[in-house]
Amino acid sequence: MLSQSMFPWILLTAGFLFTLGALGVLIRRNPLVVFMSIELMLNAANLALVGYSSFLSSEEGQVFAFMVIIVAAAEVVVGLALMTRVFRIGRELDVDDLDEMSR
Amino acid sequence: MNGLLAGTLILTAIAGMGVVFSPQTIYSALSLVLTVGLLAVTFLILNAQFLFAVQLIVYAGAVMVLFVFIIALLDPASEERPRLTDPRFVLGILAIAGICAAVFVASRNGVTYVTSCTDQSAACMHGALVGAASDPYNTFGFPAAAVNQAGNVQTVANQLFHTYVLPFEVTSLVLLVAAIGAVYLTRQTRGAAPPPAGGARPEPGGAPQELPEERVEEELVAGGTR
Repeated sequence: MLSQSMFPWILLTAGFLFTLGALGVLIRRNPLVVFMSIELMLNAANLALVGYSSFLSSEEGQVFAFMVIIVAAAEVVVGLALMTRVFRIGRELDVDDLDEMSR
Repeated sequence: MNGLLAGTLILTAIAGMGVVFSPQTIYSALSLVLTVGLLAVTFLILNAQFLFAVQLIVYAGAVMVLFVFIIALLDPASEERPRLTDPRFVLGILAIAGICAAVFVASRNGVTYVTSCTDQSAACMHGALVGAASDPYNTFGFPAAAVNQAGNVQTVANQLFHTYVLPFEVTSLVLLVAAIGAVYLTRQTRGAAPPPAGGARPEPGGAPQELPEERVEEELVAGGTR
Protein backbone atom coordinates (compact mmCIF):
# COMPACT_ATOMS: atom_id res chain seq x y z
CA MET A 1 0.00 0.00 0.00
CA LEU A 2 1.03 3.59 -0.49
CA SER A 3 2.47 5.56 2.36
CA GLN A 4 0.58 8.72 3.20
CA SER A 5 3.80 10.70 3.08
CA MET A 6 3.75 10.29 -0.71
CA PHE A 7 0.67 12.49 -1.08
CA PRO A 8 2.48 15.88 -0.99
CA TRP A 9 4.72 14.71 -3.82
CA ILE A 10 1.69 13.99 -5.96
CA LEU A 11 0.45 17.52 -5.38
CA LEU A 12 3.90 18.98 -6.02
CA THR A 13 4.20 17.05 -9.29
CA ALA A 14 0.76 18.30 -10.32
CA GLY A 15 1.83 21.86 -9.53
CA PHE A 16 5.07 21.41 -11.45
CA LEU A 17 3.24 20.06 -14.51
CA PHE A 18 0.73 22.91 -14.37
CA THR A 19 3.53 25.46 -14.17
CA LEU A 20 5.28 23.83 -17.12
CA GLY A 21 2.07 24.01 -19.14
CA ALA A 22 1.58 27.69 -18.32
CA LEU A 23 5.21 28.35 -19.28
CA GLY A 24 4.68 26.61 -22.61
CA VAL A 25 1.54 28.65 -23.34
CA LEU A 26 3.42 31.89 -22.61
CA ILE A 27 6.79 31.36 -24.30
CA ARG A 28 6.09 29.00 -27.24
CA ARG A 29 4.82 30.45 -30.51
CA ASN A 30 3.75 27.32 -32.37
CA PRO A 31 -0.01 26.94 -31.74
CA LEU A 32 0.33 23.14 -31.77
CA VAL A 33 2.80 23.28 -28.88
CA VAL A 34 0.54 25.79 -27.11
CA PHE A 35 -2.30 23.26 -27.36
CA MET A 36 -0.05 20.51 -26.02
CA SER A 37 0.84 22.77 -23.09
CA ILE A 38 -2.86 23.27 -22.39
CA GLU A 39 -3.23 19.47 -22.39
CA LEU A 40 -0.36 19.35 -19.89
CA MET A 41 -2.21 21.75 -17.58
CA LEU A 42 -5.43 19.73 -17.83
CA ASN A 43 -3.51 16.54 -17.04
CA ALA A 44 -1.93 18.22 -14.02
CA ALA A 45 -5.39 19.08 -12.73
CA ASN A 46 -6.43 15.47 -13.32
CA LEU A 47 -3.45 14.22 -11.33
CA ALA A 48 -4.38 16.46 -8.40
CA LEU A 49 -8.03 15.37 -8.59
CA VAL A 50 -7.19 11.67 -8.64
CA GLY A 51 -4.58 12.10 -5.90
CA TYR A 52 -7.10 13.79 -3.63
CA SER A 53 -9.73 11.22 -4.57
CA SER A 54 -7.42 8.39 -3.55
CA PHE A 55 -6.23 10.24 -0.45
CA LEU A 56 -9.75 10.98 0.80
CA SER A 57 -11.22 7.61 -0.30
CA SER A 58 -13.89 9.40 -2.34
CA GLU A 59 -14.81 8.70 -5.95
CA GLU A 60 -15.98 12.23 -6.72
CA GLY A 61 -12.52 13.38 -7.76
CA GLN A 62 -12.39 10.62 -10.34
CA VAL A 63 -15.79 11.66 -11.72
CA PHE A 64 -14.54 15.24 -12.14
CA ALA A 65 -11.33 14.02 -13.74
CA PHE A 66 -13.50 12.08 -16.21
CA MET A 67 -15.37 15.29 -17.07
CA VAL A 68 -12.05 17.11 -17.53
CA ILE A 69 -10.89 14.43 -19.98
CA ILE A 70 -14.08 14.80 -22.03
CA VAL A 71 -13.77 18.59 -22.18
CA ALA A 72 -10.09 18.28 -23.14
CA ALA A 73 -10.95 15.94 -26.02
CA ALA A 74 -13.62 18.36 -27.31
CA GLU A 75 -11.20 21.28 -27.01
CA VAL A 76 -8.50 19.45 -28.97
CA VAL A 77 -10.94 18.62 -31.78
CA VAL A 78 -12.06 22.23 -32.22
CA GLY A 79 -8.55 23.64 -31.80
CA LEU A 80 -6.93 21.38 -34.37
CA ALA A 81 -9.78 22.08 -36.81
CA LEU A 82 -9.08 25.79 -36.36
CA MET A 83 -5.39 25.19 -37.04
CA THR A 84 -6.05 23.31 -40.29
CA ARG A 85 -8.34 26.19 -41.30
CA VAL A 86 -5.61 28.74 -40.59
CA PHE A 87 -3.14 26.66 -42.58
CA ARG A 88 -5.58 26.29 -45.46
CA ILE A 89 -5.97 30.03 -45.96
CA GLY A 90 -2.21 30.22 -46.34
CA ARG A 91 -1.10 31.70 -43.05
CA GLU A 92 2.02 30.88 -41.10
CA LEU A 93 1.43 28.81 -37.96
CA ASP A 94 2.71 31.37 -35.44
CA VAL A 95 0.63 32.84 -32.65
CA ASP A 96 2.40 36.20 -32.99
CA ASP A 97 1.32 36.51 -36.64
CA LEU A 98 -2.34 35.57 -36.15
CA ASP A 99 -3.60 39.02 -35.18
CA GLU A 100 -6.53 39.69 -37.54
CA MET A 101 -9.02 40.04 -34.69
CA SER A 102 -6.97 42.76 -32.99
CA ARG A 103 -6.91 45.08 -36.01
CA MET B 1 4.79 0.73 -4.22
CA ASN B 2 6.11 4.01 -2.85
CA GLY B 3 9.26 3.74 -4.94
CA LEU B 4 7.19 2.95 -8.02
CA LEU B 5 5.03 6.02 -7.43
CA ALA B 6 8.07 8.24 -6.83
CA GLY B 7 9.80 7.01 -9.99
CA THR B 8 6.66 7.52 -12.05
CA LEU B 9 6.21 11.06 -10.73
CA ILE B 10 9.84 11.98 -11.48
CA LEU B 11 9.62 10.55 -15.00
CA THR B 12 6.34 12.43 -15.53
CA ALA B 13 8.01 15.71 -14.60
CA ILE B 14 10.93 15.03 -16.96
CA ALA B 15 8.59 14.11 -19.83
CA GLY B 16 6.56 17.27 -19.17
CA MET B 17 9.70 19.35 -19.53
CA GLY B 18 10.26 17.61 -22.87
CA VAL B 19 6.85 18.86 -24.08
CA VAL B 20 7.68 22.50 -23.43
CA PHE B 21 11.38 22.64 -24.25
CA SER B 22 11.64 20.48 -27.38
CA PRO B 23 12.55 22.52 -30.47
CA GLN B 24 10.72 20.16 -32.85
CA THR B 25 6.95 19.87 -32.67
CA ILE B 26 6.93 16.12 -33.15
CA TYR B 27 9.29 15.68 -30.19
CA SER B 28 6.85 17.71 -28.09
CA ALA B 29 4.03 15.43 -29.19
CA LEU B 30 5.97 12.26 -28.37
CA SER B 31 6.93 13.70 -24.98
CA LEU B 32 3.25 14.40 -24.36
CA VAL B 33 2.46 10.76 -25.24
CA LEU B 34 5.03 9.71 -22.64
CA THR B 35 3.60 12.13 -20.06
CA VAL B 36 0.06 10.90 -20.62
CA GLY B 37 1.11 7.25 -20.39
CA LEU B 38 3.05 7.84 -17.17
CA LEU B 39 0.05 9.68 -15.71
CA ALA B 40 -2.08 6.65 -16.61
CA VAL B 41 0.38 4.48 -14.65
CA THR B 42 0.08 6.92 -11.74
CA PHE B 43 -3.70 6.58 -11.86
CA LEU B 44 -3.30 2.81 -11.72
CA ILE B 45 -1.02 3.06 -8.69
CA LEU B 46 -3.58 5.35 -7.03
CA ASN B 47 -6.32 2.71 -7.50
CA ALA B 48 -8.20 4.60 -10.21
CA GLN B 49 -8.45 1.75 -12.70
CA PHE B 50 -11.34 3.26 -14.67
CA LEU B 51 -9.48 6.52 -15.25
CA PHE B 52 -6.38 4.52 -16.23
CA ALA B 53 -8.31 2.93 -19.08
CA VAL B 54 -10.03 6.19 -20.05
CA GLN B 55 -6.72 8.06 -20.03
CA LEU B 56 -5.08 5.52 -22.30
CA ILE B 57 -8.00 5.26 -24.72
CA VAL B 58 -8.89 8.94 -24.97
CA TYR B 59 -5.48 10.60 -24.66
CA ALA B 60 -2.93 8.12 -25.97
CA GLY B 61 -5.41 6.54 -28.38
CA ALA B 62 -7.40 9.44 -29.78
CA VAL B 63 -6.03 12.86 -28.87
CA MET B 64 -2.37 12.12 -29.51
CA VAL B 65 -3.07 10.33 -32.79
CA LEU B 66 -4.97 13.46 -33.85
CA PHE B 67 -2.03 15.62 -32.83
CA VAL B 68 0.48 13.50 -34.75
CA PHE B 69 -1.73 13.46 -37.85
CA ILE B 70 -2.08 17.24 -37.77
CA ILE B 71 1.69 17.63 -37.35
CA ALA B 72 2.25 15.33 -40.34
CA LEU B 73 -0.31 17.30 -42.38
CA LEU B 74 0.79 20.83 -41.52
CA ASP B 75 4.54 20.17 -41.16
CA PRO B 76 5.26 23.15 -38.89
CA ALA B 77 8.78 24.53 -38.96
CA SER B 78 10.81 24.46 -35.79
CA GLU B 79 10.80 27.87 -34.16
CA GLU B 80 13.88 29.79 -33.24
CA ARG B 81 14.87 30.22 -29.61
CA PRO B 82 13.35 33.21 -27.81
CA ARG B 83 15.74 36.07 -27.13
CA LEU B 84 16.35 36.44 -23.41
CA THR B 85 16.25 40.23 -23.62
CA ASP B 86 12.81 40.31 -25.19
CA PRO B 87 10.55 42.15 -22.68
CA ARG B 88 7.68 39.79 -23.50
CA PHE B 89 9.87 36.80 -22.64
CA VAL B 90 10.89 38.40 -19.33
CA LEU B 91 7.22 39.18 -18.57
CA GLY B 92 6.32 35.55 -19.29
CA ILE B 93 9.02 34.27 -16.95
CA LEU B 94 7.83 36.64 -14.19
CA ALA B 95 4.23 35.51 -14.66
CA ILE B 96 5.37 31.90 -14.46
CA ALA B 97 7.20 32.61 -11.21
CA GLY B 98 3.99 34.04 -9.77
CA ILE B 99 1.90 31.07 -10.93
CA CYS B 100 4.53 28.66 -9.58
CA ALA B 101 4.51 30.31 -6.14
CA ALA B 102 0.71 30.36 -6.03
CA VAL B 103 0.39 26.69 -7.02
CA PHE B 104 3.00 25.52 -4.52
CA VAL B 105 1.50 27.57 -1.68
CA ALA B 106 -1.93 26.18 -2.56
CA SER B 107 -0.67 22.59 -2.58
CA ARG B 108 1.06 23.15 0.79
CA ASN B 109 -2.22 24.45 2.19
CA GLY B 110 -4.03 21.40 0.85
CA VAL B 111 -1.61 19.05 2.55
CA THR B 112 -1.63 20.84 5.90
CA TYR B 113 -5.41 21.04 5.88
CA VAL B 114 -5.74 17.29 5.64
CA THR B 115 -2.87 16.14 7.84
CA SER B 116 -3.52 18.61 10.67
CA CYS B 117 -7.12 17.49 10.95
CA THR B 118 -7.17 14.74 13.52
CA ASP B 119 -10.31 15.31 15.58
CA GLN B 120 -13.68 13.87 14.63
CA SER B 121 -15.64 17.12 14.31
CA ALA B 122 -17.84 17.83 11.31
CA ALA B 123 -15.40 20.43 10.00
CA CYS B 124 -12.75 17.72 9.90
CA MET B 125 -14.93 15.20 8.11
CA HIS B 126 -12.34 14.49 5.45
CA GLY B 127 -9.62 14.12 8.07
CA ALA B 128 -11.79 11.57 9.82
CA LEU B 129 -12.21 9.72 6.53
CA VAL B 130 -8.45 9.45 6.23
CA GLY B 131 -8.24 8.00 9.70
CA ALA B 132 -5.17 8.50 11.88
CA ALA B 133 -3.91 11.29 9.70
CA SER B 134 -1.12 12.32 12.06
CA ASP B 135 0.65 9.02 11.48
CA PRO B 136 3.07 9.73 8.58
CA TYR B 137 3.24 6.06 7.62
CA ASN B 138 -0.49 5.55 7.49
CA THR B 139 -1.51 4.12 4.13
CA PHE B 140 -3.96 5.71 1.77
CA GLY B 141 -5.91 4.66 -1.24
CA PHE B 142 -9.26 2.97 -1.28
CA PRO B 143 -9.90 0.36 1.39
CA ALA B 144 -9.19 -3.05 -0.07
CA ALA B 145 -12.43 -4.46 1.33
CA ALA B 146 -14.56 -1.82 -0.36
CA VAL B 147 -12.73 -2.19 -3.68
CA ASN B 148 -13.06 -5.96 -3.58
CA GLN B 149 -16.71 -5.71 -2.71
CA ALA B 150 -17.75 -3.21 -5.37
CA GLY B 151 -14.83 -2.43 -7.67
CA ASN B 152 -13.55 0.89 -8.92
CA VAL B 153 -15.61 0.95 -12.12
CA GLN B 154 -18.80 0.17 -10.24
CA THR B 155 -18.25 2.79 -7.57
CA VAL B 156 -17.36 5.48 -10.15
CA ALA B 157 -20.38 4.52 -12.25
CA ASN B 158 -22.55 4.74 -9.16
CA GLN B 159 -21.47 8.35 -8.69
CA LEU B 160 -21.60 9.11 -12.40
CA PHE B 161 -25.10 7.83 -13.06
CA HIS B 162 -26.75 8.88 -9.81
CA THR B 163 -25.21 11.99 -8.28
CA TYR B 164 -23.69 13.50 -11.41
CA VAL B 165 -26.06 12.25 -14.08
CA LEU B 166 -26.94 15.76 -15.35
CA PRO B 167 -23.31 16.85 -15.96
CA PHE B 168 -22.69 13.49 -17.56
CA GLU B 169 -25.54 14.04 -20.01
CA VAL B 170 -24.39 17.61 -20.70
CA THR B 171 -21.01 16.26 -21.79
CA SER B 172 -22.76 14.52 -24.69
CA LEU B 173 -23.94 17.96 -25.82
CA VAL B 174 -20.38 19.27 -25.49
CA LEU B 175 -19.05 16.47 -27.68
CA LEU B 176 -21.83 16.97 -30.24
CA VAL B 177 -21.12 20.70 -30.54
CA ALA B 178 -17.38 19.99 -30.82
CA ALA B 179 -17.94 17.47 -33.61
CA ILE B 180 -20.25 19.83 -35.53
CA GLY B 181 -17.77 22.67 -35.07
CA ALA B 182 -14.89 20.59 -36.36
CA VAL B 183 -16.86 19.51 -39.43
CA TYR B 184 -17.90 23.12 -40.10
CA LEU B 185 -14.36 24.44 -39.75
CA THR B 186 -12.67 21.85 -41.95
CA ARG B 187 -15.32 21.34 -44.62
CA GLN B 188 -14.40 21.65 -48.30
CA THR B 189 -16.05 24.60 -49.99
CA ARG B 190 -16.89 23.87 -53.62
CA GLY B 191 -17.00 26.77 -56.05
CA ALA B 192 -16.68 30.10 -54.31
CA ALA B 193 -13.69 30.47 -52.02
CA PRO B 194 -14.54 31.18 -48.38
CA PRO B 195 -14.07 34.78 -47.28
CA PRO B 196 -10.79 35.31 -45.45
CA ALA B 197 -11.11 35.35 -41.69
CA GLY B 198 -11.67 38.89 -40.45
CA GLY B 199 -11.66 40.26 -43.98
CA ALA B 200 -9.03 42.87 -43.12
CA ARG B 201 -6.35 41.62 -45.47
CA PRO B 202 -7.00 40.00 -48.83
CA GLU B 203 -5.28 36.66 -49.15
CA PRO B 204 -2.72 36.18 -51.94
CA GLY B 205 -4.94 34.41 -54.47
CA GLY B 206 -6.69 31.10 -54.27
CA ALA B 207 -3.63 28.96 -54.82
CA PRO B 208 -2.73 28.40 -51.15
CA GLN B 209 -6.25 27.14 -50.44
CA GLU B 210 -5.85 24.19 -52.75
CA LEU B 211 -2.23 23.50 -51.90
CA PRO B 212 -2.44 21.16 -48.88
CA GLU B 213 -4.94 18.70 -50.39
CA GLU B 214 -3.10 18.53 -53.71
CA ARG B 215 0.22 17.97 -51.99
CA VAL B 216 -1.19 15.18 -49.84
CA GLU B 217 -2.78 13.54 -52.88
CA GLU B 218 0.46 13.73 -54.81
CA GLU B 219 2.34 12.19 -51.92
CA LEU B 220 -0.25 9.44 -51.65
CA VAL B 221 -0.02 8.69 -55.36
CA ALA B 222 3.76 8.75 -55.25
CA GLY B 223 3.78 6.42 -52.27
CA GLY B 224 1.32 4.05 -53.90
CA THR B 225 3.22 3.71 -57.19
CA ARG B 226 6.57 3.20 -55.54
